[in-house]
Amino acid sequence: MSTQNKAIKKKPVMAMLLFGCVSLTAYFYLMTHQGLVTETFTKGGWYAAFPILAAFAFSFIHGAFASNLLSVFGIEAKK
Amino acid sequence: MKRTVTLIFTLMLSLLMAASAMAGGPPPKDLLKGYFTEVNEAARTVQFEKEGSETLTTFHLNQEMAVEDIKLNKKVMVTLDKHAGRPNVIGDVSIMFMDLPLSKIGYLIIIGLIGGLLSGFIGSGGAFVMTPAMMTLGAPGAIAVASNMCHKFPKAMVGAFKRYKYGQVDIKLGLVMAVTAIIGVEVGIQMQKYILNTWGNAGSNLYVSLVFVCVLVVVGLIVARDAYKLSKGGGEAKTGKLALALMKINIPPMMEFKVAKVRISFWITVPIGVLTGMLAATIAVGGFIGVPGMIYVIGASAMVASATELVVAFIMGCYGSVQWAISGLVDIRMTLLILSGSLIGVQLGALGTTYVKDHIIKIVMASVMLIVAVSRGAKVPGYLADVGLMNPLEPQVTAMLNSVSFWALIVALASAGGLITFFMIKGMIQARREEKQSVLETAHG
Repeated sequence: MSTQNKAIKKKPVMAMLLFGCVSLTAYFYLMTHQGLVTETFTKGGWYAAFPILAAFAFSFIHGAFASNLLSVFGIEAKK
Repeated sequence: MKRTVTLIFTLMLSLLMAASAMAGGPPPKDLLKGYFTEVNEAARTVQFEKEGSETLTTFHLNQEMAVEDIKLNKKVMVTLDKHAGRPNVIGDVSIMFMDLPLSKIGYLIIIGLIGGLLSGFIGSGGAFVMTPAMMTLGAPGAIAVASNMCHKFPKAMVGAFKRYKYGQVDIKLGLVMAVTAIIGVEVGIQMQKYILNTWGNAGSNLYVSLVFVCVLVVVGLIVARDAYKLSKGGGEAKTGKLALALMKINIPPMMEFKVAKVRISFWITVPIGVLTGMLAATIAVGGFIGVPGMIYVIGASAMVASATELVVAFIMGCYGSVQWAISGLVDIRMTLLILSGSLIGVQLGALGTTYVKDHIIKIVMASVMLIVAVSRGAKVPGYLADVGLMNPLEPQVTAMLNSVSFWALIVALASAGGLITFFMIKGMIQARREEKQSVLETAHG
């Protein structure tokens, strides 16, 4: 029983670190290549896919990081 | 059920395609994007290279512009002055991408965090402060609107997913609302265009502000009164009288919303959706009518209504973002920086709802709506003077009203953040205490 409880309460530290690193790298790339990124992303027309897909991609990566971060801090929904 | 969902999806996709084919969306069409390559100070002319074209056009500066306003080799947006009496006169120039030092980055992340918290908790919000906040930092209006729109849909998607996991989202209601809201957006845009053409910019500003203030004050007071009554009566929400009466109207097709526990005619949901869309197109916060509409007209609880609004916000945000992105106006740096804070905030707000009672959501919603109404109300005298219905204001009065307007937004955001945090922590402490007590009781029993 106690092992089961431990397994349930195990905090997703590794997942948080993994998604955190990917997210941080992506943000670092974005801020160090501002010129290229803003230029490409605002060409309009079919280039509209860039900002939309980037927003989706960041919401998955950074969203997963945020979710795991809250779990690691012990902030979870009421059961 | 499956057939209804398929039907709604098909309708929605065809609407999306029809709207993009017409390209009559909200982004301004008379903007030129490109670079200034040369300035002739004596002749007050500039050489402009339009994006995607290598030919240079000569533009004249209008009388109010200084040569120093022209920055070479930076991507700019140019609006031509149509009333100059001759062609190719520049009316307005703004640099598309401002520099982002660390202080501005920090500011965007914090605003995103609080906006997300609000969005996750009451289903909407944040947008009313994001756009002015970005403009305060120096972003041109169109870029601020586009970047805010593009951050809204992933945030709403994550929030909706979280609240779906807590069993609070009525997807069918969300889809029905979103389809009708998209129609409302189109109606709202056409109305805005009509007002702009008839009464000009000042008239349009006055119209937007009056709608803002009237809707927020009326709906805010209704929600506040309801929350007050509920808090006195122990916080147990009942379906309102209006919603109960409307549920008795039997005009087919009748729709059953299982999560919201409501069976109502489709035709009752239409005006709520359309009004949500119209308000979204007019004042950028459709949720301020969508959530109370779902509560008082359709009969959903505040918990389900605020969660379902996130689905509506996601679909409408997607629709708007595609249109703004096609116009090439999204500053992805600002979008993603705000998103970095708001993705944490929205999840925190969403889980916060599991610790509070229905009336707490209403208290937060009413407070935000009424403070935001003050913010916009402060702008009304200026706009009344612009259209000639009042004597022109003294510059000091204008400056004071502008600062009241800006600070009211900050107060709205800060007080909402404070209230949500307070109720969430209170709920968590209570939940832990109850958990401990039940463990003790089990051990003793």
